[in-house]
Amino acid sequence: MIKQILLIWAVLSWMQPAYSKDMTGLDVMKLVVARDDGNDLIQHMKQRLIDKRGHVRERLMISFSKDYGEDSKSITYFLQPANVRDTAMLTWDYADDNHDDDQWLYLPALKKVRRISSSDRGDYFMGTDFTFEDIKSTPTLGDYQWTLTGSETIRGTDVWVVDAEPKSKALKKNMGYSKVRYYVRKDIQMYIKVDFWDIKGKELKHLVSTDIQKVQGIWTAMQGVMSNVQTHHRTELTFSEQQYNTDLSNRMFSERMLKRGYHGQ
Amino acid sequence: MHRIFHWILRHPKIILLLLLVTTGVAVSQMRHIHIETDVDAMLPKHSDAYINKKVLDERFGSSDVVIIGIINEKEGIYTPENLALVQELTDWLGEQDLFQTLSLNDLLSLSTIKDIRGTDDGLDVTLFMDGLPETIAEAKQVQARMHAFGIYENVIASADGKGTIIAVRPMPDSRDQYAKIYDLLQSKVKELEASHSNDSFFISGRPIIEGVFGVYMPQEMKRMQPIIMTLLVLLLYISFRTPRGVFLPLAAVLIAEIWTLGTMAAFGFNIYTITTMLPILIMAIGIADAVHFLSRERLLAHYGKYSHQKERIIEVMHELWKPMVMTSVTTGVGFLSMLSSELPPIQEFGIFAAVGITYALIVTMLLFPAALMLLPEKAAHTARKPLFSGYIEWSSQAILNYPKRIMLIFALLTTISVIGIMRLGVDASLVAQFKPNDPVRHADTVLNEYFSGTTSLDIMIDTGKENGLLEPVFLQHIVDLQKEIEKDPVVGDTSSISEFLMLMNKALHANNPAYNRVPESSDLAAQYLLLYSFSGAPDDFETFMTGDYRQAHIRINMKTDSTHAVAMMLKNLKIKTDVWFPSSAGYQVEWAGTGFTLHRLAQMIIAGQITSLALSILAIFLLCWWMFKRLLIAFIAMIPVSLAVTVNYGTMGNVGIPLDLATALTGAMVLGIGVDFAIHYLHRYHEESIADHSYAESVVNTNRSVGHAILFNTIVVVGGFLVLLSAALYPQMKLGALIAATMTVCYVATVYLFPVLLGLGQKNIKV
Repeated sequence: MIKQILLIWAVLSWMQPAYSKDMTGLDVMKLVVARDDGNDLIQHMKQRLIDKRGHVRERLMISFSKDYGEDSKSITYFLQPANVRDTAMLTWDYADDNHDDDQWLYLPALKKVRRISSSDRGDYFMGTDFTFEDIKSTPTLGDYQWTLTGSETIRGTDVWVVDAEPKSKALKKNMGYSKVRYYVRKDIQMYIKVDFWDIKGKELKHLVSTDIQKVQGIWTAMQGVMSNVQTHHRTELTFSEQQYNTDLSNRMFSERMLKRGYHGQ
Repeated sequence: MHRIFHWILRHPKIILLLLLVTTGVAVSQMRHIHIETDVDAMLPKHSDAYINKKVLDERFGSSDVVIIGIINEKEGIYTPENLALVQELTDWLGEQDLFQTLSLNDLLSLSTIKDIRGTDDGLDVTLFMDGLPETIAEAKQVQARMHAFGIYENVIASADGKGTIIAVRPMPDSRDQYAKIYDLLQSKVKELEASHSNDSFFISGRPIIEGVFGVYMPQEMKRMQPIIMTLLVLLLYISFRTPRGVFLPLAAVLIAEIWTLGTMAAFGFNIYTITTMLPILIMAIGIADAVHFLSRERLLAHYGKYSHQKERIIEVMHELWKPMVMTSVTTGVGFLSMLSSELPPIQEFGIFAAVGITYALIVTMLLFPAALMLLPEKAAHTARKPLFSGYIEWSSQAILNYPKRIMLIFALLTTISVIGIMRLGVDASLVAQFKPNDPVRHADTVLNEYFSGTTSLDIMIDTGKENGLLEPVFLQHIVDLQKEIEKDPVVGDTSSISEFLMLMNKALHANNPAYNRVPESSDLAAQYLLLYSFSGAPDDFETFMTGDYRQAHIRINMKTDSTHAVAMMLKNLKIKTDVWFPSSAGYQVEWAGTGFTLHRLAQMIIAGQITSLALSILAIFLLCWWMFKRLLIAFIAMIPVSLAVTVNYGTMGNVGIPLDLATALTGAMVLGIGVDFAIHYLHRYHEESIADHSYAESVVNTNRSVGHAILFNTIVVVGGFLVLLSAALYPQMKLGALIAATMTVCYVATVYLFPVLLGLGQKNIKV
């Protein structure tokens, strides 16, 4: 009798994965990471920082970025406002968490390149509502506990709802989040909405990506709006004139190019 | 009138039921009572300080922060244990729902502030305490960096290294939680004190002070109520010695008090610190009507003039309604003159004091007839000699024998008082409202001793154009202004965006001290701020400038909230700001903050005083003229109260009690209450005169009848206000002592000076 029960149990537990067609949260996020986003990209970027009184600060930039395996490099030139024109930023982004990212900024008024000290992942980026963690193209999967909590329909498309909880208290403090919820479109494996909760567990921010188009065969969100519900501050990012896979040269991402500035193409 | 009186007597039960129901309704309203502790709410809504504070809070974030000081005299604050304690307490604060901790300026402490340093190839923005120091040497390293950085020295940690503060913002619009914050912090501090025996903790800051006010105010009202009631019971018992003689007047004033508070609550008026004195005032003044009614009724019963009870009561009502209404009107006018003040707390105090007195009159006129009709009639007590008869007779003789000495004494008193008035000052300080040994005041004093100051004063400068504040000339003028402000010894520290830009300029020029100056171009300043935004948080500077770089904010920490200090500073700085930030060039300079609010409050207290006093003196004078139909008598009627008011302010000047929100009420109070004495006295003297009694006879007779009533009245008012000596708040206590002393003077002036003045001239003045 006992042997029979054990046998049934063994068979059942062995058969479980085969029977379950359900994906896990991690599976969904792996699809997100694996999504094709090109090898390199040139795009124009408009930043609109809107404070709670509706005052708007606007910046115009052009950025060049390129993947180097898991790592990536990018260079961004400020076009507007006039008082920061020709300021340029060079970033070498390392996938390895033990390797701090390198960042340099060229200040035309000082005529000098200055290195920027590395930031915490939870630090806000350039006065926007995005943290350094948020602007990464995809989250570091190993840092979170992923849970698929269900499916929903957003703006007519089916999405998976995936909850992410930073694995340790230290990670929570470092990133400034106790929970993040991704809404991933099932058809194109791209998240179109993200909710954030602060360390106290209170609702903090919402990111909504809209105007999703296929550019050169690659799904691209033309706009992303991050709204902080606590500070009532909002950042609108608008992307345009994307050019994927133009085979940018490695020389683009050098200190010399930082100083040279952007003179149009 | 007669018909009303009859109707009342015919339906005593309905009247009692009516009183009961109205009182019940009033009690049900009292749960809506709102206690207002916001100092800014004490200003009129159109005041620039009120408006600017709202703008400041919205534009740069609230400057009202809770301050927790940790002081360790023995080892200093820079030890691994103490820095760990700072970290622990900061983290704990960050987890509390009562606080807003979104950005750096929401929660400032040694563990959140950032160091900006130049490195060989760039700018380094890091926490002063990046990870907890493990050795004394590492802890001292933090101190060295704090000293080198400079901006936070004495602001966050004292220069001698003995103490540090944590400043945290309460959640926006959470004023009703301030008392809770204080309780929470106190219990946390108690817990920490147990494990850190060498550290002392001090809690202050405006939210704490306002929170404590919020706790004290209802406590004060609850605590003083039984004291004043016991006092009244005692005085009433001495006078009447019957249960109804004690409990009817007590019931009357209690009902009047409940009605008043109920009315306030129903119409949404706030309770301010000074409003807590209203019950005492209503009881002390309102009891007079009740006592007059009862003693007259008993007198008539004693002489057996009206055998039928109903007729007797009608007669009492008939005799008394006019003088009672008159004295209520004059008292009410005294209080209503407070309406000329611009400050809502004073205005509302005046209104509801007048309302309370009116209620007391109405209740007395309804409750007494109705209750006396229902209560079984008792045989009148055997006549007994009035309590103070010996004294009264002595005083009459003194008046007739020594008129010159009496005049001399009053002349002297007046001279001394006039000298005192010239020394009268004003101070709307919040902290000074606590007694010197109060824990909150003590904490505030200690924190001001070690650090840059707990009182905020703020300057907002609108440059009139986007990016305007990045201009080197403007930034330099801010630096100049800060230097000018810091010359004042009451200023502990000032800070602005200029300081940070100078620091970045130096840091980006390899820490060369020659570059410790404002960036040389607007573009450079903009680029520094952009550079900073990559390492620091975007809102690190939100408290110093707006996102469009148009408006700048200079924060001043003052070591005192004495309004005199602010007044002096404003006067001196106006000259400078007019030159550096001329409005012709599009600049607009606005002041705000607690220091400025209190300064405006003080100004309005003074301004209100003069008009309010002048108005009430004029109004009461006109009333007396109308009543007595003779200008000269009206003049004389004003003498005791004017004298009492003079002595009141003179004493304040001589003793060094400044005018504040509470003591500012004394003038109108003394006038309103004191003039009743004069009216009663003159009425009686008038009757004696028309009865063709001689001057001496009139004085003796008037003294015998009215002298008693006024004496009782004085004892009640003086006793009632002496209860305030037990108040937890200083101004209330001072007001109690002042009114008690001044009413005594008013009594003496009425009973002694009056007859002497009336006896002046060849034929003596006939009334």
